[in-house]
Amino acid sequence: MLGPRDRVIGQIYIEGDLRIGGVVEGEVEVTGDVEIDDMGQVKASLAGRDVTIRGHVNGAVVARKRLVVAKSGSLIGDVRVARLAIQDGATFSGKVSMGAGPATAPPVKPVEVPTPLPEPQPKAATEVEKPVAPVVTTPVVAAPKITPPAIIKTAASAPVAELRVAGKDGKGKPVAPPVKGKPNKKKRR
Amino acid sequence: METQEAIAESTPVETDGQADSKRDGQKRFTLGPNDSIEGKLTYGGSMAVEGGRAEGEFRLGGNVDIGAGSVVKALLEASNVTIKGELEGKLTARDKLTLGKNAKLNGDVQVRRLQIEDGASLNGYVRMGDFEQQAPGS
Repeated sequence: MLGPRDRVIGQIYIEGDLRIGGVVEGEVEVTGDVEIDDMGQVKASLAGRDVTIRGHVNGAVVARKRLVVAKSGSLIGDVRVARLAIQDGATFSGKVSMGAGPATAPPVKPVEVPTPLPEPQPKAATEVEKPVAPVVTTPVVAAPKITPPAIIKTAASAPVAELRVAGKDGKGKPVAPPVKGKPNKKKRR
Repeated sequence: METQEAIAESTPVETDGQADSKRDGQKRFTLGPNDSIEGKLTYGGSMAVEGGRAEGEFRLGGNVDIGAGSVVKALLEASNVTIKGELEGKLTARDKLTLGKNAKLNGDVQVRRLQIEDGASLNGYVRMGDFEQQAPGS
């Protein structure tokens, strides 16, 4: 707790909560909650869990949980928060970035992305194989033993597993390219 | 076409029954769930989006309400703006901007007064203060 007559200029790191009633200039990092009282004047970058501003703040604010600017509060500076509440009457200018939106999005994407990704790869593989395929696959039906040398040729980019699948599919030539993606899905299902 | 329909539908709404009591003779139209507006709109009155779709550039003399579940993509200018749904685009509120607790706003904002309820989502630059731009019809 920094009272109205207290003044700090410099860097503050506090494990716990902080309440500022006076003047602070510099950099403030708090593991707990930060409260700036009506009389508080902060010219500093401010980081905390819950940040409540009733006084004046000039500087960037990071609130890991929530930022509240009360109606007597004023905040000028860029803000990075999870949740934000600004009461009517408060003054606020700056850029707001809320992690909530992007944070929830990525976990969804990785689940979706893997499925589309393998598809283009086999396609690319088939494209590469296509010129070779008519030559190679025809012998494949006759003699599957010839496929290993084919693997060596294309193995540079494509995993062996895919090529094995391709080899199996090679028996049903015309359907082979579209089926490639599907057998995997069927196995998963 | 859609714009005309929307305005045509708004015409009966302009009767005093729906008029905002705060302003006399306030014109007002509402975009319901099946309504949509696309393009540029300059309107002296107010507009409410309640489940409808709105895209474009809207300059209003009155207020804009974006109801829950409504998505608006627009360059928007109005006196009071209340968002409970989603807005994507640059916003100017000559008086006050209110973001409800489930509101989502992506875009830069210029306002005179600002109220954001806990739970609202905002991404963009906020500027508060006086306006160089003149209010149409005020």
